[in-house]
Amino acid sequence: MRSWLMRLLVVVALLGTCVVGCRPAPKGPITLIIIMEQVPDTDVVRKLLPDFEKENPDIKVVIDAMPYDAMRDKILASFMAPKATYDVIIVDNPWMDEFVGGNFLEPLDDRIRRIPDYDFEDFVGPVRKIGVVGGKVYGIPFYNYAVGLIVRQDLFDDPAYRDAYQKKYGKPLAPPTNLEDYVHIAQFFKEQSGGKIYGAAMQPQRGYKVFEEWKNWLYAAGGNLLDEQGNVIIDRPEAVRALELYIEMYKTAAPPNSLNWGFDEALRSMAAGEAATMMSYNWMLPTLNNPQGPAGALAGKFALYEVPGGKAVLGAWHWAIPRNAPNKDASWRFISWLTSKRMEKQRVILGGAPVRVSAMKDPEVWQKGFGQAYYETVLKILEDAEPLARGPKAEEIIQVVGTELNAAVAGEKTAEQALKDAAAQVRKILGK
Amino acid sequence: MLLPLLGLLALVQGYPIAFAAYISFHDYQLTALDQVRWVGLAQYQGLANNSSYWNAVMNTLIFVSGAVTLELILGLALALLLHRPVPGQNAFRAIVLMPMFITPIAVGLMFRFLLNSQLGIIPLALRSIGVEIDWFGPNLALFSLILIDVWQWTPLMTLFLLAGLEALPTEPFEAARVDGASGFQIFRYLTLPLLRPVILAAVLIRMLDAFRVFEYVYAITRGGPGERTETILFHIYRVGFLYFRLGEASAMAFTLAAVILILVVALFYILRRQEAWA
Amino acid sequence: MTVFNRPWATPLPAQWALTRRRLGILIRLSLLGFSTFVVLFPFIWVLAASLKPPMELNRPSLWGFTPTATNWVEVWLRSPFARYFLNSIVVGVLTVAVSLLVGAPAAYAFSRFRTGGTWLRFLILAAQMLPPALFIIPFFLMAYYTGLLDTVWALAMAHLTFIAPLVTWFLIGFFEDVPRDLEEQAMVDGCTRWQAFLHVVLPATRPGLGAAGLFAFIMSWNEMFYALMLAGGHSKTLPVAIAGYWTFRGVELGKMSVAILSAAIPVLVASFFVQRFLIRGLGGGAIKG
Repeated sequence: MRSWLMRLLVVVALLGTCVVGCRPAPKGPITLIIIMEQVPDTDVVRKLLPDFEKENPDIKVVIDAMPYDAMRDKILASFMAPKATYDVIIVDNPWMDEFVGGNFLEPLDDRIRRIPDYDFEDFVGPVRKIGVVGGKVYGIPFYNYAVGLIVRQDLFDDPAYRDAYQKKYGKPLAPPTNLEDYVHIAQFFKEQSGGKIYGAAMQPQRGYKVFEEWKNWLYAAGGNLLDEQGNVIIDRPEAVRALELYIEMYKTAAPPNSLNWGFDEALRSMAAGEAATMMSYNWMLPTLNNPQGPAGALAGKFALYEVPGGKAVLGAWHWAIPRNAPNKDASWRFISWLTSKRMEKQRVILGGAPVRVSAMKDPEVWQKGFGQAYYETVLKILEDAEPLARGPKAEEIIQVVGTELNAAVAGEKTAEQALKDAAAQVRKILGK
Repeated sequence: MLLPLLGLLALVQGYPIAFAAYISFHDYQLTALDQVRWVGLAQYQGLANNSSYWNAVMNTLIFVSGAVTLELILGLALALLLHRPVPGQNAFRAIVLMPMFITPIAVGLMFRFLLNSQLGIIPLALRSIGVEIDWFGPNLALFSLILIDVWQWTPLMTLFLLAGLEALPTEPFEAARVDGASGFQIFRYLTLPLLRPVILAAVLIRMLDAFRVFEYVYAITRGGPGERTETILFHIYRVGFLYFRLGEASAMAFTLAAVILILVVALFYILRRQEAWA
Repeated sequence: MTVFNRPWATPLPAQWALTRRRLGILIRLSLLGFSTFVVLFPFIWVLAASLKPPMELNRPSLWGFTPTATNWVEVWLRSPFARYFLNSIVVGVLTVAVSLLVGAPAAYAFSRFRTGGTWLRFLILAAQMLPPALFIIPFFLMAYYTGLLDTVWALAMAHLTFIAPLVTWFLIGFFEDVPRDLEEQAMVDGCTRWQAFLHVVLPATRPGLGAAGLFAFIMSWNEMFYALMLAGGHSKTLPVAIAGYWTFRGVELGKMSVAILSAAIPVLVASFFVQRFLIRGLGGGAIKG
């Protein structure tokens, strides 16, 4: 039996060496290794790569795509090595300030200045500002994930529903612009459909998701996490009201037992026709309206609006260059090429989420992309949007608040108590 | 004979363990590497007041004891069933092992969708007989995770115990049968004691693995509702990689290792002592 | 055939005995059948999911839709899945081979000589008691500096840190079950301790070795944490690929189901193969003679 084992080892060793040795060695042209998340926007970038390599024959680009947490951990590890293992990285907005604080990113102002018609101001304000820390630019916007309200337009247009709603509430049935209306509309749909269609597919999952969804409610109630001076104001009355309304919606109009629901469940529920509205990323609309997509027969019936109140939660990914990257000039060439006005237009036409105002106002994009209404709505959403949290410790703040919010929705604490606890913890984190 | 193992382990584990120990005494934050400073035992002492940490430890202890106990009982039952010749034995033996073949994160995601109230098949089936269960609500969430662990890892217990049963010598059993011992008596006084070393090893191995439960929490509940399914490894990962406070996470990890070590040694000696008595 | 687990083992007339035996088999079969159902049900759901078009994945249906092979085509033909498959196999076999080679002698030493007393046994479990999260950065740096980043070797080494001690621990139990007179007899007959180990003790522990080997392969096959960190585009393994279908835009259930099923097949094959070791009597106890 020993010899059998020996033989096996030898075979495996040979196989292993072959697998190892089959790595292509970079010759001549510089090879840029870019770490990205495995999402459709990455696929769009992949489609554009051949054009880049044609215009820049001395650079090859390899994309290493992986899930979110793996990406973050590998980026961190790359920072710790003497020479970065990735030439270009993408940075999620909660990490931006931390990475800059850790001295990991290369400032890009000079590089931007050297390109005459780059037009950095063309990037939508709130998104652009995320990449600017301490007055210097460290990240160039890649794509946005701002939250919008996605509704089943056919339900809102249905005459039977419209009549009943008008009778009950005395006003026309329309996508809500404030919180009370939203709760009423959601309850209405559930009642009228006999429980077959829930008012809203919610995402109260502990941590990031529940905060991402609820903060839109907080904005609609006129509140925020911090005020202009940086004081914690999440325990103020308007915040309590926003949370109580959110919980009421969960209890009366959301699918049952959906306490741990995140993006997946809510999307599927919507796509299966079991919910009338959901708060989700604005670029989910094209996916839902795609006849070959998850919604199948319901494709085309969805519409996008701003969240009630108009101010939305903003998330965005930025391109950045690690300070310890070996080929920073080549890295910059790639970034500046991809984010130029010209290529942004191409990227958006292929289905990427837009970040430049010019792309969102371009008739050619409207025509070849998803239509004028969609892009105009996206622009409106982006112009009045704010990230979940800023500054170092952003992630921790998000997790802490998200835990308290979920506890409140689960009924373990009252809304007021949960927010009080959240505020206390955030104050502790910020050292106030 | 031991040298190869020890050499291998020293080579690969030496540096990482030393590194981890080192940073547990420092305020080591991944995003502030130029501000690393010595804090001695402060991070360890800070744990005494850290209710999140102890909550996580408690959750994990509940999870481990529930899961391993169930797995031992079910695993032993299955192993006994598979030990005796039965038509289709080989097929059963291979099929019963299948849950182990899926990487835990996939199992977590599978059950997330299978048990989803609106989209899952199991609640649908249950509703048809009038039963409505909120699998991931505040009361049941941890228990649901235990059930998922039992589904995936009972086969491991079965594998170990079956191998143990197969390796038992036949003479004592034949002798006992000749002497007229009942099935139950044979099981209690012969099978169990002889299986003791294998049971010990199996329980130990499964226990250590159960302490590291992470993927199910990550895929389904993220520690919620509230903090009810926050297990210790998830907590350590959160502090170390979401909040970037790797030094503190390291202190937590070593404290946990101490707790586990005590449990392991206790288990070992209890089972050893019983063996000496039998 | 002995009748275990029956509280009434007194001799009965032949007729009765036959009926009871048949009843026994029936009961056992139904219990096994039930267990099989519990085990297989999720797999059936996964199989159905792998054949569903995107729209159907939102509905809890096991049948009643038109199956499509797109997911299978997408995963196997239009992505580097086959390469990840190969990587996983290489890493798995490497891990099994080394852990058995290194673990069996170590387990023997622990069992026979009580080497290092009891504390050494616990020390080697140190890596199991500490979370992988702590080790990934040092491992990454070690792999970086030795140039082994993104290779199957680095990953196999990382796997061995926790698999080899477990295999050793598990095997100790089996070695203890082998009576010492066996090898003493062999040594009296003129073998060295090493020869006695190889030719007498090891064969007696075949079931244990088989189980330990399968266990090691499964642990390595399913391991995701280290693979996420240490593997890059070239040495990516299956768990990483499977996790990769959990994207920001939701879980791609159809493709993930294909990946899950494909990943389960080799292990199923391996476990069939290992059954030979698990069945005693093929030379297991045939030492006297």
